[in-house]
Amino acid sequence: MVVQKAKRTAPARPARWSRYSGRTFYLFVSPWVLGFLLLTAVPLGYAFAISLTNFDGSSSLWRWVGLSNYRELMRDSDAWASLARTLAYTALVVPLSVAISLGLAVLLNRRLRAVGLFRTIFFLPSVVPIVATAIMWKLVFNRDSGLLNAILERLGLGAVTWLVDPTAFYALIILTLWGLGTGMVIMLAALQGVPIELEEAAVVDGAGRWRVFRHVTLPMISPVLFFQVVTGVIMSFQVLVQPLLLAETNSIGAVTNVPPSTHLYMVQVYQEYFANQRFGYGSAMLWVFFVIILVSTLLVQRSSRFWVYYEVDRDQND
Amino acid sequence: MPDGRAPAPLSRRRFLTGPALLAAGAVAAPLLAGCDASSGGSAGGSSGKTTLTVMYASNELTKEHIAEFERLNPDIAIKLIENDDARLNAMLASGTPPDFVRGAAVGSANNNARGLATNLDSYLDKSSALKKSDLLAVNDNWRWDGHRIGAGPYYGITKDWSQDATLWYNRALFERAKVDDLSTTDPVTYDELLDVAGKLAVRKDGKAAVYGLGVEWQWGLSGPLFSMVLSQGGSIYNDDLTQTDVTTPEAKRALRWLVDLAQSGAAPSSLNPLPDGADLSTFMAGRMAISQDGYWYGGNFSKAAADLQATIRMAPAPVMGAKRVSPCYAGQGAWIPAKSKNKDAAWRLMEYFMAGPPAVERATSGWGLPALKSLLPKLPQDLPYQKDAYKTAQAELAYNVAMPDSPYVTSGNWVTTLNQYVDLAARKKITVDVAAQKVTDDINKLLKQGKDRIG
Repeated sequence: MVVQKAKRTAPARPARWSRYSGRTFYLFVSPWVLGFLLLTAVPLGYAFAISLTNFDGSSSLWRWVGLSNYRELMRDSDAWASLARTLAYTALVVPLSVAISLGLAVLLNRRLRAVGLFRTIFFLPSVVPIVATAIMWKLVFNRDSGLLNAILERLGLGAVTWLVDPTAFYALIILTLWGLGTGMVIMLAALQGVPIELEEAAVVDGAGRWRVFRHVTLPMISPVLFFQVVTGVIMSFQVLVQPLLLAETNSIGAVTNVPPSTHLYMVQVYQEYFANQRFGYGSAMLWVFFVIILVSTLLVQRSSRFWVYYEVDRDQND
Repeated sequence: MPDGRAPAPLSRRRFLTGPALLAAGAVAAPLLAGCDASSGGSAGGSSGKTTLTVMYASNELTKEHIAEFERLNPDIAIKLIENDDARLNAMLASGTPPDFVRGAAVGSANNNARGLATNLDSYLDKSSALKKSDLLAVNDNWRWDGHRIGAGPYYGITKDWSQDATLWYNRALFERAKVDDLSTTDPVTYDELLDVAGKLAVRKDGKAAVYGLGVEWQWGLSGPLFSMVLSQGGSIYNDDLTQTDVTTPEAKRALRWLVDLAQSGAAPSSLNPLPDGADLSTFMAGRMAISQDGYWYGGNFSKAAADLQATIRMAPAPVMGAKRVSPCYAGQGAWIPAKSKNKDAAWRLMEYFMAGPPAVERATSGWGLPALKSLLPKLPQDLPYQKDAYKTAQAELAYNVAMPDSPYVTSGNWVTTLNQYVDLAARKKITVDVAAQKVTDDINKLLKQGKDRIG
């Protein structure tokens, strides 16, 4: 009888896995999968479907237009110009934000008196809502009564109209960099995770501060730098609120007053959706942008093999 | 379980199939809802009360107004949503629009032609509070007969309005600059206005200490441009509202005036914007001599300091040509979406808000002109500036004309396009002629797209 029972039993699985059936596994991951499908895949699919129409966002007066929105986009010089500005913005903001947040983290990683206070002060701007931050900077940048021009005046320099072109672009970059406290905290955590014995070994071998930083610290925190670059690129591509908030008007129709230099791709998309009532075309713009972001992220990902150091072999099967 | 076997493990393929089907359904459902937004709408409450979803500005339809309306109409409860264009779009697209929506008379042709608004004629015919014979001409901007504004049924009612090209000025700043006061009855020309603005402006260390003039540049240039063109006897659209031409001599002259104003530095413009995007705070601070705003502007001064009340005056809309015009640029009011499920209740709110105590309250405060003839005598005339403004506004009624409005473009389209090219011309990157051609081309492209969509 014992022999018969043994014959009917399926080959035994390793004991620790047998407790987890496939059903249990998928039950646990299903909230995320459902969330991804409903909050990411569905909007993507919906936007793609809309991109094949001339839907105006409110009425039932629409029809399928095939790929004509995409064809029009290929010829739309305004859209490509806004994309070029977005690339320029990203090319400036990402390195600057990574470098400055790393610099601040290095400073705040030292054993200084009241370092906790400094960490709080540097982090504080990133917890202030972006609307409040933008209003503050608009007042600072104001030509006639702003703090910045008051300082310039004290230095004997002329007043600058900051919030119009061409300086509006730099005002936008300053506003963006103002909130890099989160990146600083992540960098700080990474720096504190660097084994002290590695740095000490380098010092014993005769390395100076800079060489220790360059050849020990940076490689050790390079996965975090990589994370910052990837998320920075994606977020910079998608910037919308900041240019609208800096625009020379109140909230009503802000998009109509965004200066050309800060008229980034997402502002152009917003304009197509809400000023021009072209939800179909705007959706086509978003889909093309999605592909561009995907490709850019893949390129950054590919480049990581040349500059990101992992302590473990990522290809090794565990 | 027979034979003691465990259930077949859920395969990855099977696991993903279900949610994928769910996702596909979820994609299709809103799209189909967008095709024919016939379902939805604000539902009545289970208590027997009708819940009226209202999208309005809470500083205009106040808590007190809502409480009083609900007291007078115990079968209706109001759910107020703060005015939000993006949210309105989403609600309209999903087929669950609000029952009562804030909107402007000028520019309403776009919504009306797209079938988004309810024809109010049957309500107006039966109403004792709102009668067609009592509606001032500004309400004609809500009318749409399928081809043009000003004819056909009403699709909305204006709350208050102004002749928005009129001027408010600070006599103290005129006196300081040794410039004669503007007449409260005879209009200046735009050329004279530019000249006066230059004399009134005061610059110090490269900054504007006093602006000579404000035209609410950051609110959009279409109003001033259209007004100037109409004053010269020109037109903005062709007969069927499908094309524009801003390269006409009249339109180019108006564009040139805007560019000259920006370049003069005498007014806030895209070259030198105001931090809060509006003229009011600068004017009230005594840093702007003239502000081109309608009668409503006077409502801001009813509780201002006595010296400011004593020094401000209203002047007629300037002219650019032989024809005197004094149009309304907006005429804020309300409309009832065609898909509203509670139109009768929404109409009761319309009657209360447009002809009831809130309308009387607005009229007596001087916060804009009432849209009903019967309320005009209630405008304030206690203070000297109010008396003068009353006379000026009454005289301007004779010159009220409808603003050009095509259903195939939005006001936002004009504002965006004009901002872009007037700014370039003001920076001398393009000429006024090129700007005129670019504006014409861009707006005509949008008109064509709108015509294709609406039919």
